[in-house]
Parts: sequence; C-alpha cells; structure tokens
Amino acid sequence: MRFITGVEFFVVEALRNVRRSWLMSFVAIGIVTVSLFIFGLFLLLVVNLGNTVAEVGSRLDLIAYTDRNLTDQDAGVLQSRISQITGVTKVSYISREEAWKNFREDFSQKLDLAEVTRNNPLPNSFAIEVRTPELLPAVAQSVARFPEIDEVRYSGKLMSQMETLISAVRIGGAVLIFLLFFATLLIVVNTIRLTVLARETDIYIMRLVGATNSFIRWPFVIEGILIGVFGSVLGILILKTSNDAVTFRIQSALPFLPIVRDSNILNIIYVMVLLSGILLGMLGGYISVSRLLKEKG
Amino acid sequence: MIELKNVSKTFPNGVEALFEINLHIGKEEFVFIVGPSGAGKTTLMKLLYREELPSTGTVIVDRVNVSELNSEQVPYLRRNIGVVFQDYKLLPRRTVYENVAFALQVTGVPRSQVRRRSQQALELVSMLKRTSSFPEELSGGEKQRVCIARAIVNNPTILLADEPTGNLDPQTSFEIMELLDKINKRNTTVITATHNKGIVDSMKRRVVQLEGGRIVRDQALGGYH
Repeated sequence: MRFITGVEFFVVEALRNVRRSWLMSFVAIGIVTVSLFIFGLFLLLVVNLGNTVAEVGSRLDLIAYTDRNLTDQDAGVLQSRISQITGVTKVSYISREEAWKNFREDFSQKLDLAEVTRNNPLPNSFAIEVRTPELLPAVAQSVARFPEIDEVRYSGKLMSQMETLISAVRIGGAVLIFLLFFATLLIVVNTIRLTVLARETDIYIMRLVGATNSFIRWPFVIEGILIGVFGSVLGILILKTSNDAVTFRIQSALPFLPIVRDSNILNIIYVMVLLSGILLGMLGGYISVSRLLKEKG
Repeated sequence: MIELKNVSKTFPNGVEALFEINLHIGKEEFVFIVGPSGAGKTTLMKLLYREELPSTGTVIVDRVNVSELNSEQVPYLRRNIGVVFQDYKLLPRRTVYENVAFALQVTGVPRSQVRRRSQQALELVSMLKRTSSFPEELSGGEKQRVCIARAIVNNPTILLADEPTGNLDPQTSFEIMELLDKINKRNTTVITATHNKGIVDSMKRRVVQLEGGRIVRDQALGGYH
C-alpha cells in the first residue's frame, strides 16, 4: 500500500516535471533519439559485417591445380589422399576437359572463344572444401606438399582483410558509442537539472519535512526514464524503417550480399537500444539531483 | 527534550555565529529566542533540525545526538520537527491542500491517511475554507497559517518558528502567536525566534536572548527588554 502510494506520487511528479519544462524535455528526447539511432546503426553494421564474413567464409574452398599429364588413376589415388588431411570435408576432381566445358558454357555468350584459342589451356584440378575458414592455410600447406600439385589457391587474404575490417569497425564503433553515451548523458543530466533547479524549493521542503533521499530522487529518475523511453522508441522506429528500406534496396540491387534478416537478431538490437535509453535516462535523473542532496557538514 | 552543550558554530568563511552555547529546553516548553539580526538565532534553529552541524559541542534532540546521525537517519529526525519560516516557503504551483498533503506524501504516509490528516491540520489553523486556493491568492497571515499546518501535519514533538511574524502586521502577528500557543498546549515544544518586542512582552514566556552568538539572558516569564 505504502509502495503503491509512493509510485503513484513519483509518476505524477515526474509527469509534472516533464510538462513544466516540456521544451527542454523535447530537446533531450530528440538528442536521445539521434544518439540511440547511431548506436543502433553501429550494432546493425557490426552484425551485418560479421554475417558477411561468416557467409563468405562458408563459401570458401581450395583449388589445387595438378600436373597436366595426370592419369585418371593417379588422380583417384591423389583424391583419396587429400581427403585424409584433417579438416577436409570434401574433395572433387575436375578434369581439364570438364573444366574447359564448364568454362565455355559460362562464358560462350560473352566472348568468342574460338578466336582466343582452340586448345584447352586449363589444368586438371581438385576442389577441396574445409570445415572452417580458419583451417584454410594449414590445409593449403599440406596439399601443396604433394609433388603432383603445381599450385594451391584460396582466398585467405580476403578472409583476413575482412576480419581486420570487422575488428576496426567494432573498436571504432565501441569508442564512438562510448563518447556518444557520455555526450547524451551530459545533455540528459543538464535537462533534468533544469527541472531540479526549478524545483529547488520543493526539494528543500521535502528534505525539511523528512523525505528520504531516495524518495526525493525517484521523480527525477522516472523523468529520466520517460525521456529515455520516448527517445529510444523514436530511435528504434527510425532505425527499423531505415533498416527495412535499405535491406529492401540492397536485396534488389545486390542480391548476393548476405544482409541480416533474422528478426530475432534485429529484435535483440532494438531491445538493446531501448535498454540503453532507459539506462541513460535513469543515470541522468540520478546524477542531476545528487548535488542538491549532499548533506551539509 | 533539547540540550545544547558548549556548542560553537564557525562557518567556513570564518564567521563565528555561535559561541559556547549551553541551553536546555524541556518537553512542551514555549521559548522565545530574541536578539538583533545576526545574533545567531537562525543558526541555533538550524542546528536543531540538522541543517547545520555544530563546529564543537553536542546538540541533543529527543535523546539523540544529531551530530552522530548519518544521512539516512536525518529524515527521521526531521519528521519529528516542524519548521515555520518568515517567508513561508510554500510551493507556488500547489494548492493550500496540496502544500500540506505534500509533507505527508513525501514521507510515505498512505493515501487513506493523507486526506484526513491534512484536513485536520488545516482545520486547526482555520484554513479549511481555502483548501483549493493557490499561495499567491492568500494574505500573509493566511500563508503563515498554511505554513504552520504543513509544519504540524506530521505531528512533530517540536515546532521551530523562525521569525514567523516578520512579514505580518501587528494584529495578524498576534493571531499567529495565538495559534502557536494553541499548538504548544497540544503538547508540542515550541521555539520561536523573533525580534518582535510587542509579542514577547505580551506573551510572558521564557526568553533566551542572544547577542553576538552568546546567550546574554535566559529568563522565565520574561519580556523582550
């Protein structure tokens, strides 16, 4: 009963504060919206980049080119020996005739091959799939040790470049989010401080008649939470609308890009944005009233 | 009830407000603290509700040494002390009723009691017919009545009034003092700081006179001099 009375009082007081300084509250909500939108944007970027790397990684395999004069029998032996290397999940032999045929099918419409060459210039090769992208370099080395293998190719460089990019985005994003959080916190604190100053007499009277510090704080903390909730909900709406629009465009223009469409992951991002907004508001409200509550010595 | 032992108060800026004060005030007493401005009356009051801490000496209120209270205990001390100001300190955007109820709400009193107790307090100060007025619509005397209602609504055992008649005409001042007397007769210790000679002389109560931070006179049934 006592608790209910308190909560009702806190919420009424918080709303009274927002209404009294509605312009500053509006500004604070706007800034929370923008900050949290950028925060959400970074989360989306990191998740999508991670997804892209995973996707590209899963498509990666090795191509091992062999001696041109390899007999089918030798090829079979070599194939089974390669498949015994740890990490290798599948090995398929592509004879030079087969490769030539595929090549001509793929490119016959784009160039007149008869003009380029009549002879098959391609070597025999093995397409090797590995369990995880990290195993690529080790498997490549093992395969290259066979004397029949001329050359091994895989896109290891691409992988490591993508991973560097992701960690750069993660670190840069974390630093930016950190700075953004403090800038936003500062603005929320100052906004609520205005209502704190406007209510200095109220707070003085509250202290005088024996209200506890936590009781005095609650309305301001709730005011902060309200600003945080309004700001983050707006931010999420903008984020969701722009994400949906961008996803739609990318998918029609660049269908091979693996954009995250898993609604669970997106929902987690939206919830994180909301929680950050609430946390920001709470902290802002708490800090802004603390100065007035310090005991005099 | 209230005991000050060798209490001195020096402010950080070097001003010595009180010097070696020894004072005992018993239960349900009515005491005037008199003296010129700057004599230390307000500082003495503030020591009692722990708005200020003594530099040296001990202040005991209701058997509790207020210097030893931590910040979580201070609110509970203050619920036992009502304070009335010269400038009323009413909250301008709240009605008379809300100003009084506020003191109960912020100390977590259940809503079922807030209305009844607020109305009782307003009835005691004869302000029941103005409950929905805002402070700016009231006269000085009416504002002071509301301020007193707010100070007593929590049923404190001590009521401190710092220059309660400072802004009021003589007739209204007498009415306010009659009200404080009535509250004193309801078993509340009342301490009034004032430099209103007429009131002190006519009420014939204990007078403690301060000058330059020292007690220069402590007289039962005294006058202002």
